[in-house]
Amino acid sequence: MSNITSVDISRLKNGEVNLGTSIMAVQFDGGVVIGADSRTTTGSYIANRVTDKLTHIHDRIYCCRSGSAADTQAVADVVHQHAQVYTSVYGSAPPVATAAALFEKMCYDNKDQLSAGIIVAGWDKEAGGSVYNIPLGGGMFQQPWAIGGSGSTYVYGYCDATYREGWNEEETVQFVKNTLALAMSRDGSSGGCIRMCVITKDKVERHFVPGNELPRFWEGKEVVGGNTSGQRVAVAA
Amino acid sequence: MELNGGSVVAMIGKDCVAIASDLRLGNQQVGIASNFDKVFPVNDKLYYGLPGLATDVYTLREHLRFRVNMYRMKEEREITPKTFTHLLSSTLYEKRFGPFFIEPVVAGLTTPTPLDPNPKPYISTMDTIGCITTPKDFAVAGTAADKLYGVAEGLWEPDLEPEDLFETISQTLLNAVDRDALSGWGAVVHIITHDKVITRTLRARMD
Repeated sequence: MSNITSVDISRLKNGEVNLGTSIMAVQFDGGVVIGADSRTTTGSYIANRVTDKLTHIHDRIYCCRSGSAADTQAVADVVHQHAQVYTSVYGSAPPVATAAALFEKMCYDNKDQLSAGIIVAGWDKEAGGSVYNIPLGGGMFQQPWAIGGSGSTYVYGYCDATYREGWNEEETVQFVKNTLALAMSRDGSSGGCIRMCVITKDKVERHFVPGNELPRFWEGKEVVGGNTSGQRVAVAA
Repeated sequence: MELNGGSVVAMIGKDCVAIASDLRLGNQQVGIASNFDKVFPVNDKLYYGLPGLATDVYTLREHLRFRVNMYRMKEEREITPKTFTHLLSSTLYEKRFGPFFIEPVVAGLTTPTPLDPNPKPYISTMDTIGCITTPKDFAVAGTAADKLYGVAEGLWEPDLEPEDLFETISQTLLNAVDRDALSGWGAVVHIITHDKVITRTLRARMD
């Protein structure tokens, strides 16, 4: 069991790409909303600023990936294949719980080699919308809402204080958008734009919030030190 | 150098110079302050930027303030950009075997004198132990230095007027720090001309 008393952000191999990230999924009556930022970093270089971290597993099952980009892509590909085989063999879509169990098995059995934090979410006819959080050790936790990635640590308080049961789709989307915006603001490894997916019985609807339309919160007023008689100017980018 | 993050860039224009920095202060990945300016004035013709370890930013700033004040009292004149650069360089070399974790950037206009009636605008940069470089175009430093090199090389051209230089340096800074996880969270630009200094805060990405 490797060191559990301190965080080792250099755990990735040299040059390996990191999905230092903010991801979340929230269940509502009728389905789930999943969301993620779009930043992939190699050290402090932003290798991809428009990443899609919401990965298709099955028609109504998606997962959000955080940790090593390579590890999570590999695991998601395997589970995607298992889900297709399930459909061929059993004739219907796998429940979200089954997909989550497949993820859990891979993440737990290979826990020493992998650096993967995954949130599985979707809709199935047995359970309706459900969210499963599979953090680093490979444990599986079904929750009404789950957050993950390096940016999630900054928004636990916000989520605890804001979440309410019984929201509709629109209120849930707004909750995800605000939470991710806050995490992306504070966490250096998260940023870019917000990608969201609303998954219900009838549809999988993708939403995109570009960087300049992110909700903005308190950013402070004055600049300390230096010479700042200046005015705020928007430079067209 | 990768603890607090932050970047500075300076550029030469036609009878003007510009110097700009981001406003982020972080602790590795977490951002703490979005009002941490890294560019300071010596006087209204000479500015310098100190990207790197935040505690050394403050210490060096105070150290230089003392040294410049002593210079002003003894010489009874304002210090020139070139002399200030050398002052900064020797301050850094004094700590050769336990250095300040700062890579300074200096930008200023030299006042004309009978011996030098048409002085060129001046920028310089140095490493953590004071090796001076005096480029003719732009100077970059900080965690986004590599990205700043790339964008500046693409956008800079000689003899830019103050308004055009503002646009160029702003785009250089903004787009370079947007590719760096440790820089950003706001930006400030100073354009220095012979009659005034214009300071503008840019509306930047806050992620």
